[in-house]
Amino acid sequence: MLFDFANVLVFTALGLGFVGVNLLIGKLLRPANPQTRKLSTYECGEPAMGSAWVNFNIRFYIVALIFIIFEVEIAFIFPVATVFRRWVEGGVGVYALVEILLFIGILFLGLVYAWVKGDLEWVKKVKT
Amino acid sequence: MKPLINSLPETVFTTKVDEILNWGRASSQWYMLFGLACCAIELMQTGGPRADLDRFGAVPRATPRQSDLMIVAGTLTYKMAKRTKLLYDQMPDPKYVISMGSCSNCGGLFQLAYSVCKGVDKIIPVDVYVPGCPPRPEALTEGLLRIQDKMMSERWLVKPSRPAEERAEA
Amino acid sequence: MDAQEIFATLETQFAGKVGDFKGDVFEPYLSVDGASIVEVCRFLRDGAGMNFAVLSDLTALDWPKEEKIQVVYHLFSYAHNHQIVLKVDLPRDNPKIATVEGVWKVANWFEREVYDLFGVIFEGHSDLRRIMLPEDWLGYPLRKDYVEQEEYDGISTQRAPLVEKLLR
Repeated sequence: MLFDFANVLVFTALGLGFVGVNLLIGKLLRPANPQTRKLSTYECGEPAMGSAWVNFNIRFYIVALIFIIFEVEIAFIFPVATVFRRWVEGGVGVYALVEILLFIGILFLGLVYAWVKGDLEWVKKVKT
Repeated sequence: MKPLINSLPETVFTTKVDEILNWGRASSQWYMLFGLACCAIELMQTGGPRADLDRFGAVPRATPRQSDLMIVAGTLTYKMAKRTKLLYDQMPDPKYVISMGSCSNCGGLFQLAYSVCKGVDKIIPVDVYVPGCPPRPEALTEGLLRIQDKMMSERWLVKPSRPAEERAEA
Repeated sequence: MDAQEIFATLETQFAGKVGDFKGDVFEPYLSVDGASIVEVCRFLRDGAGMNFAVLSDLTALDWPKEEKIQVVYHLFSYAHNHQIVLKVDLPRDNPKIATVEGVWKVANWFEREVYDLFGVIFEGHSDLRRIMLPEDWLGYPLRKDYVEQEEYDGISTQRAPLVEKLLR
């Protein structure tokens, strides 16, 4: 089994090596001419003013949060799916099914809450 | 580590490598969309389907950071000249400039106006001038091919034939 | 209403402040006294039968021999489909006039353009600065005695003398 890990090591080394060699070739073959004006921030020809760190909309965070929660849920369901056949053969298939459905159901209640509260809408309706 | 630019001796092998590198550069000139006036329409059409610039590998980029060719298409005013210089400075080396149309060659039709810069070569170094008002797409394509010829004849890794001091005097 | 009637109405309302009507041209014009331009414009915009709701254009002319700068207002009415042109004479060495920005909002940009190209100061304007030329430009280009500056921003404004080059 240890030999299988050597497989992974060789592939990782090849991948990193390929990227590294390409970057090295680039470094050797391209001109290096840094000038102050060349390194200045690009703002369509005008001198840049102010900070580029602006507040961005909170809905990106909400979408990312909901995505992560359900992605982790999927990650937990995968192992159940792989061993499900063995549990069915062992006679306790119903138990496993009910357990996993309960897990999905709890998270589904969370989704329903977010849905009802309007957090899944990209453009929120303003109460007039 | 220092780049190998202009540092290798002139042998059969290194000049061939130079040719391959130059061929790679010349066949993928990414031009910066710098259409200022009517020549911009012809520039867009040259990039369009009928007189295709994409078949030469030239794709339009909106930002100077990703382009190595600047096609100045249109009348340059003094107000715009400052911004043009900054955008040219923000392009990474090696960079080339095509001056498209009479207005950017010499001020063109509006040479006697108070607000028109009499040619873009007053602020940035130009490699190829394409005359016309506006130049036909075929003319601009020829300009691009001349830049290709210029690129192919450059020495990239090989040492230049004259030392740097002599070259700087020219 | 045709132009003659408009002039007659204006004469009865603002006697002595309007005059010099010329009706037999394609765009009839009349001249208005500079000090009362705002009230005349307000009357033209709001008056019954007038309703000049639109200021089509506001430009200027430079008359160096008569030593005046003439500001020209083109007014149009969609309600009655008539138009009129007003001309105001200003002294060339100190061209100042009240702004009509309060009457038509579009006069904001028109007056900035006239200031940019002729140097006419519009008193009461909310934001009188150059609109087309760069902020640090010297001089007013559309005046007849305008001389280009030698250099702007390090760029020479002189062009090669072409005729001599060709004759050589």
